[in-house]
Amino acid sequence: MGDVFIGFSSLGWQEFVMYLVGATLVWLAITKEYEPMLLLPIGFGAILVNLPLSVVWEHEGSAGFLKVLYDGGIANELFPILIFIAVGAMIDFGPLFKNPFMIFFGAAAQLGIFATMIIATLPPFGFSLKEAAAIGVIGAADGPTAIYVANKFAKGMLGPISVAAYSYMSLVPLIQPPVIRLLTTRKERRIHMAYHEAGVPRWLKVAFPIVATMIAGIVAPISVPLVGSLMFGNLIRESGVLERLSKTAQNELAYLVTLLLGITIGSSMRADTFLNVRTLMILGMGLVAFVFDTAGGVLFAKLINLFLPGDRKINPMIGACGISAFPMSGRVIQKMAAEEEKGNIILMHAIGSNVSGQLGSIIAGGMILALVPLLAK
Amino acid sequence: MDGVIESLRHSGTTAQALGVSVGGLIGVFGTLAVFFALIWIAVRIGGRS
Repeated sequence: MGDVFIGFSSLGWQEFVMYLVGATLVWLAITKEYEPMLLLPIGFGAILVNLPLSVVWEHEGSAGFLKVLYDGGIANELFPILIFIAVGAMIDFGPLFKNPFMIFFGAAAQLGIFATMIIATLPPFGFSLKEAAAIGVIGAADGPTAIYVANKFAKGMLGPISVAAYSYMSLVPLIQPPVIRLLTTRKERRIHMAYHEAGVPRWLKVAFPIVATMIAGIVAPISVPLVGSLMFGNLIRESGVLERLSKTAQNELAYLVTLLLGITIGSSMRADTFLNVRTLMILGMGLVAFVFDTAGGVLFAKLINLFLPGDRKINPMIGACGISAFPMSGRVIQKMAAEEEKGNIILMHAIGSNVSGQLGSIIAGGMILALVPLLAK
Repeated sequence: MDGVIESLRHSGTTAQALGVSVGGLIGVFGTLAVFFALIWIAVRIGGRS
């Protein structure tokens, strides 16, 4: 008789908390439209995997469908790589080529990764170097990179890290503006930036993904899967002869892998591993990472402004776009600029900075993958 | 360089994180600086041709 009611008897309060967490993510996706393509599958996956006996994960020695997806897409890093191909096909580096200096904001806005990594190792938190690095990469504002690094360094923390990365990416419109307002004056936020419509030679657009991959591969060979897949997608786009493949990568591939990635990440949120104080710390530090990213970009822009003549000053809000949340961050900054002064258009500069963030985040991820194993005990 | 790495290996976790941060930021800025130089030169060459 006990077997008949095993579904009831195996439920604990932890499972109910996870149903609540899953339902909250689904609610955020549907009612608030926060990254619905990811938060909805993640939320439903979290509910699925916490149902009695966790049949979708493993049952009577056989792998369930979510474990099959996890082993075939996350454990071997296939899904993040496929997402990068899709993202690469979506990126137009044109705005960056027209104002290449914006590329440095893609570096400055990675500050949050490193600041958070240091904070995570401090005594109150006490994470190991590898765990701290995986947490810091939430600040890449780049889900696939966060998943990739977490999978290498802290498999057990994949669930909370992924949820934090995608949740905060969706909350960029709420996180960035107050940090920017705190660090800038109204006068600075009203700075106009001239935009010169200059042609970009086609050969540059084609050569860039190849050369960039080679350079990144020489500087940090371990970053090649990340950079290479992103640039492969971009090369398909820019080659001009693979339009159908480019469209497939941007649409069918992106949607399909996102769907599978989301529900599979959700399956990593099992009550026994998710419900602990460390999860709360990870979620808190993810927010810290995004704040430091924004501050790093803004302060770097202000530093550069010290050396620029009056008519060539950079609107420091552009620095905040150096995170990888593309194109959301660029749009947020343009909206802020327009609110400060009607008709102030800095969108193209913002997008140039924002695509640089894509490059910066995967290179930062690659640097961490290369450096941490040299030191970790 | 090997000496720095060896010394950090025997340091505390926070010191190691600092080392990774310094190295990581230098790496990110350095790599993107190379990209910047390549784009800048390519745009100049492309503009002239």
